[in-house]
Amino acid sequence: MRSGARTGLVILVGLATVAVIGPWFAPDHDIQGNLLTGTLQLPSAAHWLGTDALARDIFARLAYGARVSLTVAGLAVAVATVIGVWVGLTASAPSRVLAGVAERAINLGLAMPRVIVLLVLLAGTGQIATGWLGLVLGLTGWPAIARLVRGEALRLREAAFVAASQALGASSGRVLWREILPGTLPALLVAATLGVADAVLLEAGLSFIGVGVRPPTPSWGNMIYEARDHLMDAPWLLLAPCVALVLTTAAATLLGESLRRSLLPESR
Amino acid sequence: MTRALVQVEHLVKHYRGSGLFARNDQTVQAVADVSFAIAPGETLGLVGESGSGKSTVGRAVLRLEPPTSGVVRFDGVDLATVPPAELRALRREMQIIFQDPFASLNPRRTVGASVAEGIEIHKLAPRAEVPHRVAELLEEVGLDASYANRYPHEFSGGQRQRIGIARALAVSPRFIVCDEPVSALDVSVQAQVLNLLLDLRDQRELAYLFIAHDVALVRQIAQRVAVMYLGTIVEIGPARTVIDAPRHPYTQALVSAVPEPDPDRNKARIILAGDPPSPVAPPPGCPFVTRCFHPLKDERCSAQRPALRLVAEREVACHYAETIADQAVAAAQ
Amino acid sequence: MTPLLEVCDLNISFPHATGPLSVPVDDVSFTVSAGELVALVGESGCGKTLTGLALPRLLPRGAEIGPQSAIRFAGTDLTRLPDRAMRSYRGRRIAMVFQDPMTSLNPVMRVGRQIAEAIEAHQSVSRAETRARVLSLLGEVGIADPGQRIDAYPHELSGGMRQRVLIAMALAAEPDLLIADEPTTALDVTVQAQILELLDRLRAARGMAVLLITHDLGIVAGRADRVLVMYAGRLAESAPTTTLFRTPAHPYTQGLFASLPRLDHEARRLTPISGTVPRPDQWPAGCRFHPRCPVAIARCAEQRPPFALVGPDQRAACWVAQGVTE
Repeated sequence: MRSGARTGLVILVGLATVAVIGPWFAPDHDIQGNLLTGTLQLPSAAHWLGTDALARDIFARLAYGARVSLTVAGLAVAVATVIGVWVGLTASAPSRVLAGVAERAINLGLAMPRVIVLLVLLAGTGQIATGWLGLVLGLTGWPAIARLVRGEALRLREAAFVAASQALGASSGRVLWREILPGTLPALLVAATLGVADAVLLEAGLSFIGVGVRPPTPSWGNMIYEARDHLMDAPWLLLAPCVALVLTTAAATLLGESLRRSLLPESR
Repeated sequence: MTRALVQVEHLVKHYRGSGLFARNDQTVQAVADVSFAIAPGETLGLVGESGSGKSTVGRAVLRLEPPTSGVVRFDGVDLATVPPAELRALRREMQIIFQDPFASLNPRRTVGASVAEGIEIHKLAPRAEVPHRVAELLEEVGLDASYANRYPHEFSGGQRQRIGIARALAVSPRFIVCDEPVSALDVSVQAQVLNLLLDLRDQRELAYLFIAHDVALVRQIAQRVAVMYLGTIVEIGPARTVIDAPRHPYTQALVSAVPEPDPDRNKARIILAGDPPSPVAPPPGCPFVTRCFHPLKDERCSAQRPALRLVAEREVACHYAETIADQAVAAAQ
Repeated sequence: MTPLLEVCDLNISFPHATGPLSVPVDDVSFTVSAGELVALVGESGCGKTLTGLALPRLLPRGAEIGPQSAIRFAGTDLTRLPDRAMRSYRGRRIAMVFQDPMTSLNPVMRVGRQIAEAIEAHQSVSRAETRARVLSLLGEVGIADPGQRIDAYPHELSGGMRQRVLIAMALAAEPDLLIADEPTTALDVTVQAQILELLDRLRAARGMAVLLITHDLGIVAGRADRVLVMYAGRLAESAPTTTLFRTPAHPYTQGLFASLPRLDHEARRLTPISGTVPRPDQWPAGCRFHPRCPVAIARCAEQRPPFALVGPDQRAACWVAQGVTE
């Protein structure tokens, strides 16, 4: 495996591990410690990354935040992929009517400004479950995947081995399932991996402005928001979530680009 | 006389727009009124250059693409009127071998899976027996049975072509369209694959529509040959008759241009002037009129499209086919 | 008379490539005299294209010509020249026409301009004179209506015309040697005949030497003066054309002839060469053809046969052809 992919994968696995088991090793992320003396502490043995303004353990919040961010991103990518593949394959269908409808749907979806739509959808809600957040992100993210799948499927339809299958008597369903869909997988994998990076960043941004994950549930985005007031006296408040965000995004991108290089040599 | 296995009547295929030859608003007349018949066990060669429409004919006969008009009958059944389920069943009988051995196999499937595909689709054997059938087929085309678990990229062009043939044979067809089956192969391998096709034809009594641009190759394998130019058949008849003593000027030029590995054969070469016209705007009269060198060529040729008619034991589409000399005419221009 | 081109023991390798070490072109020697048309024939992977590219030193990155090799052009050893000096040879004295006319022309530049560039690269001529020369070249390569075609873009021309343009570009600086690498493979048979006819005519008119690289033995007959047959990186046989076709000495050449369908062939089946062309990383020891050879003897597997004379003007790298029996 290429070094880029390996690095990315290691980081992501590490983060996922931290997300899953991290919160057990640290004090509960919700508990506010001693508000008189325990706030804004530097990293110590008790608090690995220090405490924040409400005397909460930063490491615990970071780890829980990782759980939140990765869940939202994972769900977003999953939903976007499922819808995107379905619409994308329909848009490549031989039937002009079906393909036309799907194509227009994709174009419409691509034309809509994703962030604005998300703001509109999320601004009115109160505390939102991470599951719903992931779903909403996925529902606005499928057009890009659909476009990709459509492109790949159209290309594959021209391939001689697809014609051979048809000549053998394969039904169009079989052709789709056994020849075309597997052919789109490499491009899909790359898109999904890069999509994770995209989703993590998007979620952080939404949480930062207050429409994503709301406090007290920690998300790297709202942790960065809370760190604004203490840039001078407690910079580690900002550093921790920022580094986490950068690391995750970079790791996912590294992995995605590496996958692209090895799976899709033509797109170099 | 036995009924024809494959009967094509007035086949027409137009494409709209983009592609090699035209922009989006233009119509490409890839095939303009082609008719022929193939008897069971017979090989009909289809010869022509790029733009002649021969590949399109092959695909249309198999109904991989619906024709614009015209009828294709297989064993008497009009393929256009047949319900989809029955068409799928009919597909067992008519198969295709493609030109490009590198594109005709799914790179993600093992060789065995590709060969077995037809068997699975038509449920021709119980699941447990499939590997055995695949092994038999691979051996029939001269490959080791153990190759079934490998992937296409591990094989050479010639081997891949054999795999493609095995896949086509898996459903026991009676008719195979061979679309330039050896042109992408190395010279020393072409003969091997051609011999394989010949042997299979004898053993399985297959009919072939053998599409190629190599006239010498077609003469080797076909009993009858049809020469296509710009979407129409200009000459059709027994292979040796047409190729050894062509009557249509284009056929003469084609045969004369065949590179022959024999410096002693003093063949007068006919060098055609100009380039093949594009199928987007074919001339109204004889399609070959712009490059024809027949000494009797006149206005009738530009105005009236000649129909195929019987001359010297074959059919020719030329107003003056009787008067053309049997030997190659002196070089034009 | 000294030949125009003398290639001696040409060795091309890729010393830094990963994977098993092989020498794609191994000890190739031949000559081309002025006005001669020599054909270099072989199948894919035999090294003929690399050999052709080596002459104007246009080898791909990573390829190296062996230290014992010499390419003497009009007396000068080109392998010893620095790249700057080589540039005065390329185009000007040695010109090359590549295989695929679709991709060899710049799609966004008019063809007249491209030919003009070929002229201007080696001579300083006035605009007017360049244009006149381009028009004359277009006429010489048989393009009808040069005045109109000169401003055409490549995609507006057919395959045959594009190939003619490439030939015009190659001729622009009046080279002494023209290397044509599979110039007709991508073209229809009738167009192929036109292009070969053109090359022949130009050669006669200009006294130019031509090295024709091809896999098609058929186009060689009646056009080439001498033929070189390559197999798996080495020369298998070389002879004047008539001799090669009448009495081929190397079993590979014989096999090629037997396996080609011919218009006068009466037998139904063809006689193929058994086996497949080996990949470079699987080239056999000894004579590289021996696993497929119908007359191979024990020595063929052990010892590489020298490229020796087997007739007055015919060489073959084959023990059996050289009269060895064990």
